[in-house]
Amino acid sequence: MIDPLTSLIIGFSVILLLVIIFYPGKGLVARFKKNKANTYRVLIEDSLKHLYNCEYNGINCTLNSIAGSLSISADEAAKVAAKLEELGLVVSNENGLSLTPDGRAYALKVIRIHRLWEKYLADETSIGEEDWHHSAEEIEHQMTLAEADKLAAQIGNPVFDPHGDPIPTAKGDLPGKKGKSLDSMKIGEFAKIIHIEDEPHYIYSQLVAEGLYPGMQVQLIESTKERIKFLANGEEVVLAPLFAKNITVAPIKDERKIEGTFKKLSSLKPGEKGKVLGISRRCRGQQRRRLMDLGVVPGTEIEVELESIGGDPIAYRIKGATIALRKSQAENIYIESEE
Amino acid sequence: MDNKGSNGREEILELANNLRWEIGVDFHDKLMESIYENAATIAARSVSTPDKEAVFSFDKKLDKILTSPVFGFPIMFVVLAVVFWLTVVGANYPSSFLASILIDEFHPVLKSFSLSIGFPGWLSGLLIDGGYLSMAWVIAVMLPPMAIFFPLFTLLEDFGYLPRVAFNMDNLYKKAGAHGKQALTMAMGFGCNAAGVIASRVIDSPRERLIAIITNNFSLCNGRWPTQILIATIFIGGAVPAYLAGIVSAAAVVGIAVLGVVLSLIVSWTLSKTVLKGEASAFSLELPPYRPPRILQTLYTSLIDRTLIVLWRAVVFAFPAGLVIWLVANVNIGGESIASVFINWSDPFAILLGLNGVILLAYIIAIPANEIVIPTILMLTVLVTGLTDFGHGTGVMFEANSTEVTAEILKAGGWTLLTGVNLMIFSLLHNPCSTTLLTIFKETRSVKWTVVSALLPLALGFTVTFFVAQIWRLIAGF
Repeated sequence: MIDPLTSLIIGFSVILLLVIIFYPGKGLVARFKKNKANTYRVLIEDSLKHLYNCEYNGINCTLNSIAGSLSISADEAAKVAAKLEELGLVVSNENGLSLTPDGRAYALKVIRIHRLWEKYLADETSIGEEDWHHSAEEIEHQMTLAEADKLAAQIGNPVFDPHGDPIPTAKGDLPGKKGKSLDSMKIGEFAKIIHIEDEPHYIYSQLVAEGLYPGMQVQLIESTKERIKFLANGEEVVLAPLFAKNITVAPIKDERKIEGTFKKLSSLKPGEKGKVLGISRRCRGQQRRRLMDLGVVPGTEIEVELESIGGDPIAYRIKGATIALRKSQAENIYIESEE
Repeated sequence: MDNKGSNGREEILELANNLRWEIGVDFHDKLMESIYENAATIAARSVSTPDKEAVFSFDKKLDKILTSPVFGFPIMFVVLAVVFWLTVVGANYPSSFLASILIDEFHPVLKSFSLSIGFPGWLSGLLIDGGYLSMAWVIAVMLPPMAIFFPLFTLLEDFGYLPRVAFNMDNLYKKAGAHGKQALTMAMGFGCNAAGVIASRVIDSPRERLIAIITNNFSLCNGRWPTQILIATIFIGGAVPAYLAGIVSAAAVVGIAVLGVVLSLIVSWTLSKTVLKGEASAFSLELPPYRPPRILQTLYTSLIDRTLIVLWRAVVFAFPAGLVIWLVANVNIGGESIASVFINWSDPFAILLGLNGVILLAYIIAIPANEIVIPTILMLTVLVTGLTDFGHGTGVMFEANSTEVTAEILKAGGWTLLTGVNLMIFSLLHNPCSTTLLTIFKETRSVKWTVVSALLPLALGFTVTFFVAQIWRLIAGF
């Protein structure tokens, strides 16, 4: 028999080795996958996307901006641009680089897959919003258009991604840009967030951390060079103007404007009642459909009936049935108190 | 179709597509809301409800007690303990009755009948000592506990108590990334893992349901309790002074069951953070009104839906497995039975895990039901040690007449306290039985999750027994 100490050491080493290889996100397998993704095709497609974004937003694109956006050296960017011209996807002129019709179609294809995938992740999976963009960045280079069409049909041919960006149709149609940036609002003005830009990542993750998402009602309170202060669904948020620029808003049309703080279902005490105003946009996909199936729609009366032993979940009386919801869900349901 | 017509259609489609940009993302919600609004108006006009306040206030009072911080958990433990006690005690009599009929009486009759009509010895051995005996064993030990446990459980469910348990337990399970109803499927798993897996249907969120299915095997099922009790009595009870033997061995068995519950929570958490991270999740839990249980209907459905389906699946596997058990003990390669060859070959690996080759082989060939693991181990031990005073012949599973005799056989097979402890751990942490695996496949419709459910506990079992064995030997100094 092998000496127990020796086998113990071997055992621990094997486990350590397995951890090093398979650790999610940081292990060798994960790293290998990441490296494999960084190919030539990725560079081509990412620069096309960048050029398209410039065009969509009416900015001029240069080699430097490509290098910056893809985090590669200027030399490499020049090589990529030369290759793009050789393929007939891009022409260079006095204003820098611009897309040919072929290049634009190619870029739209990549964007379509990217946004469809984000929509899919948001609605059909539990993957957190900070991971959507990252995952879509990988998938957009792997999926074919046919697969994308299948996916689109599966999730009901969505027209907007979860950030509020329009999803190009299979034919490559895309509506023009709408709305204006949050920092151009007037003091006291009401509007709705229709889009949150997901790049660069550090700004986007800050906006997510502030709890902002498309569909929120905003009202501007203060706007200076240093900071922009506004109410988002009644809660005060302060952002630097640079960050606020990444949020697009549009006027509220057929929706009730709600003054003051939004009241949440989770704030009710046992025995208290409220009337549903709506479900937060943050609650998506299956979970949203489930709540609506249970009758959580505007106008429904909800009463707190019972707390479980730990105080979470709480049972509510909804349309004659007793339904237990977790606190995290009740926070996504906006109500107005009765009495 | 003419050209103009198809152009017209395309125009309409394009217009529709463009309009979808305009109506925005809320469009589906708005539609649903207006349907509800209409329905509510119509209902308010035409439906009248009789006054149900009296019943409702009774429900409310009962809910207050059952979910109260003081009484909630004690009531839950008492109710579950009573259910298990009734199952264990109540199943003893019908089980021994079935065993005496199917195994003690009918087996010899079949045997002599087959000889009288001229079956060759190998054929009657294969079919009767192998297939029939294994099947009879599974029926005798599986049927009674299931026929008691499932109706009791279903009655509690029907009355409305079980959803309240899920409601109280949800906070704990939420932390493990699981659904409160997993407490119920787990409790069901204590009866039978296959039934626990079927019961996971009550969890309507895809991710939490998969977690409940994969971790159900960590509930020590009915088929494994007898193994645990037997081994704990022999080895752990035998290692302490006689006056402590009973309580210490009982504590060891409960400890294994608790270890299973703790591991199921840890594994649930790990799964929800890694491989199942992306699966969709949607929580909701309805607390139905209390109502008097419909006893006859409950008896019928729980017997048909749960007991018979599970039993049938077990029997379907038990017969061929019985054939295999008989064959490995009776077919010789180079003068040695397949069983001995495998046992000798796997012994070094098994000893590294603090087990032995007999145990590994028994767990492989007794895959249809955990109930036949001990009879298989006894048969194989007698086979490899060449003991002659026990058993009924090569390849014939048997159960010893008393715990002392079992102890004698196992100790002759070279078992130590470590072997006993590790067998208890391995009995908790190994692949689910074939019935459960088939059920997992039928429920998930996925080979991937079935394989994960089989290999995950097995890998855990190998790891835990390995480290226990090494540390044990290090401390014991040999």
